[in-house]
Amino acid sequence: MKRWGWVFAGVLFLDVLCFPFTIQAAAPFYEGKTLKIIVGHGAGGGYDRMARLMAKYLPKYIPGKPVALVEFVPGASGLIAANQIYNITKPDGLTIVTVDRGLPIAQLLKAEGVRFDAAKFSWIGSAAVEATVLCIRSDLPYKTFEDLLRAKEPLHLGSVGPANTSHQFPILLKEFLGLKINLVIYPASAESMLAIERKEADGRAGSYSSLKPFIERGLVRPVIRGRVVESGIENLPVDEDLTKDLKGKAIMAMRSAGDLMGRPFVAPPGSPPEAMAILREAFSKVAKDPELRQEAEKFMMTVEYVPAEECLKVVNFVLSQPDDIAREFSKYIKF
Amino acid sequence: MWDAFIGGLLINLQFNSFLYMLVGCAIGFWVGILPGLGGGTTLALMLPFIYKMSPEEAFPFLLGMHSVVATTGDITSVLFGIPGEATTVATIVDGYPLAKKGEAGRALGAVLMSSLVGALFGASFLAFTIPIVRPLVLAFGSPEMFMLIILGLTCISTLSGHGKRGLMLGLMSGAFGFMISLVGQDRQAGVLRFTFGQLYLWNGLSIIPVMVGLFAIPEIVDLAVRGTAIAGNVQLGKLGKGVREGIKDTFRHFWLTVRCSIIGSLIGILPGLGGGVAQWVSYAHATQSAKTEEERANFGKGDIRGVLGPGAANNSKEGAGLIPTVAFGIPAGSGMAILMGAFFLLGLVPGPDMLTKHLKLTYSMVWTIAISNVIIVAVCLLFINRLAKLTTIRGNLMIPIVLLLCFIGAYTSNNDIADLIVLMVFGGIGYFMVKYRFPRPPFILGFILGKLAETYLYSSATRYGAAWLLRPKVLIILAIAVAFAVYPFIQKRFRKEVLSEPDKI
Repeated sequence: MKRWGWVFAGVLFLDVLCFPFTIQAAAPFYEGKTLKIIVGHGAGGGYDRMARLMAKYLPKYIPGKPVALVEFVPGASGLIAANQIYNITKPDGLTIVTVDRGLPIAQLLKAEGVRFDAAKFSWIGSAAVEATVLCIRSDLPYKTFEDLLRAKEPLHLGSVGPANTSHQFPILLKEFLGLKINLVIYPASAESMLAIERKEADGRAGSYSSLKPFIERGLVRPVIRGRVVESGIENLPVDEDLTKDLKGKAIMAMRSAGDLMGRPFVAPPGSPPEAMAILREAFSKVAKDPELRQEAEKFMMTVEYVPAEECLKVVNFVLSQPDDIAREFSKYIKF
Repeated sequence: MWDAFIGGLLINLQFNSFLYMLVGCAIGFWVGILPGLGGGTTLALMLPFIYKMSPEEAFPFLLGMHSVVATTGDITSVLFGIPGEATTVATIVDGYPLAKKGEAGRALGAVLMSSLVGALFGASFLAFTIPIVRPLVLAFGSPEMFMLIILGLTCISTLSGHGKRGLMLGLMSGAFGFMISLVGQDRQAGVLRFTFGQLYLWNGLSIIPVMVGLFAIPEIVDLAVRGTAIAGNVQLGKLGKGVREGIKDTFRHFWLTVRCSIIGSLIGILPGLGGGVAQWVSYAHATQSAKTEEERANFGKGDIRGVLGPGAANNSKEGAGLIPTVAFGIPAGSGMAILMGAFFLLGLVPGPDMLTKHLKLTYSMVWTIAISNVIIVAVCLLFINRLAKLTTIRGNLMIPIVLLLCFIGAYTSNNDIADLIVLMVFGGIGYFMVKYRFPRPPFILGFILGKLAETYLYSSATRYGAAWLLRPKVLIILAIAVAFAVYPFIQKRFRKEVLSEPDKI
């Protein structure tokens, strides 16, 4: 009899434990809560702007309308934020982070300080794609890829360092397409744009969104793009199609991983599935919000939701590369 | 052009625009006073407020805030020896000793007046160079930038103490700063330098914790040891007279103030250099105005000219700093990047259009810088007596508050606990530098210019090979740099050699 008494007490205890949850299930998960959006980069940049945009419009699409706050954890190209959320932050669905798009690449290259497995984050998806283009000054006679191939003088392209698209995209063109390219490194993209203005540099590679104002103003024209496409540059030749080298194709495809998930958002591993489902749905809906789209357009940003599965597919593609390709990749791409 | 010039003024005088500018000034006042919290960060915080504003309201608001920050930042530097902003460190060197001598009123009067002169000069510089601004900015390529940085580094010889030993210590201090600037991931090969496995160090050391540590902590230690108020036991009776004296000082050394304003504006145009460098170059220039060795030795111990120079320069760079953003749509620095976000938000595309289609708005920016500084200086002058009295409060009441402000200021740079460690470490370094007479200004110059020098040397060489060395502009700047470097020695030949110990700065 005594034993039954204990069982009864145990069941009762469990019931009591579950009671608050059964009540909560009736109220929306996020009601009365605060959703913290961590930015892994400094204020003023593209990651910051996207996070603020999301903080403003996301609550509208999350049942229970939580308050959304933006917080900065900058440093080490976003690695500090990624490490923190992977290892320390409680997976309660209340903290998400916009990490650097180069995350899987950092992991593949075994960059110093990587303390996470990019595939194990609870992925929400990406809020935008960031297509890469190579732009050349409009006053130069090069209009097409063929023109560039025929050029006698090397092209001086502005770059901000080997860990950046402005360096990685052209260096693969140089290696696998045989273009004559000389990379000139500047302190930041502002300085490299000024160098183009004063005709010291002949052009630069970068995300289409950041180069668009200069393309529209007629300072530069886009010539080659990466695999990921945005409206306006559909007709440009793709770097992967221009090379016959299979290894080159693979490496270019790996480089473009970061383009597809231009503004990735993740939560700590093991975040509650119901919260993740709510967030993913909110992201997919918010990307279509007319008000948000209008505001994004003013900032010259495009918002396009890339679902979590697609981001994970890209992450796994990068991480599952055989060792020899990874080694070859690390020759050109740094984190 | 005159139409636009007057039109710009009329924009600013509209009721809404003026009101928003006043609000901006009020915010900027506090941002400037509080150490660490910088103009850039605050611009980011204020951005959401402009969603519903028109461009004619938003820019007076944002710029009104941004352009008074350096003015009020000087106040903190003078009163407490803590840099209110990263651009007002040089004001400490002579301003704080003046405050310690009980002449806070005079120093504040001088710094506010010279700030006003600087701001007005900077605004008119922007106004008058608008027609020729594009060629002006484009004249400086990477090789020229590299030589300008070298020119900046030659100021080390002027910023060091006198005598052979002083110069040695100065060069060592500069080299140390140069080395510290190399911490982090290098730009050329992506190699991690001096990071010791710490992710925090990847992006290099932030300037705020380093500067606040280097300059403020030793002063706080000193204050605690002395056990008195900042102004010591000096009687602080005639503050009002001091302020008037300080204002008069500005006009007594009017040409120095103007020359330093010119330095500020010229350096302000160049992206990457800006206020951080301008203040030191102009301080160095101010010390060169010393006619005798005694006069020179008094710099760092409270010479009013050492306050006037940087006070003018860190404000005159404000107008010039807008040029790359307005003329090319290329923001120089994070503050301007955020301002450019504001342009986009308001439906404007910064770039050549701002010099033609939206010229009126550009001129309204010029007016904003001028008017907001006039207002803030007037307000400050009203309250200056009360502010100066802060230096008579007992030290052990001030220290906790001042220390707290230092910590908050440092923490805002990365929101990382390591910011505080950097603050303390550099506080210790600063203390020993003062104790063993290593001058601190050369360290700061090396720290700001080190990585830039490296990058521009590299880009000049990859772009032009060795040919860049023979570009005419490079040779001209080199000649100026050599003249700058040897000037103190030539000057000394005509002075009497008296003192032996280098000064503590």
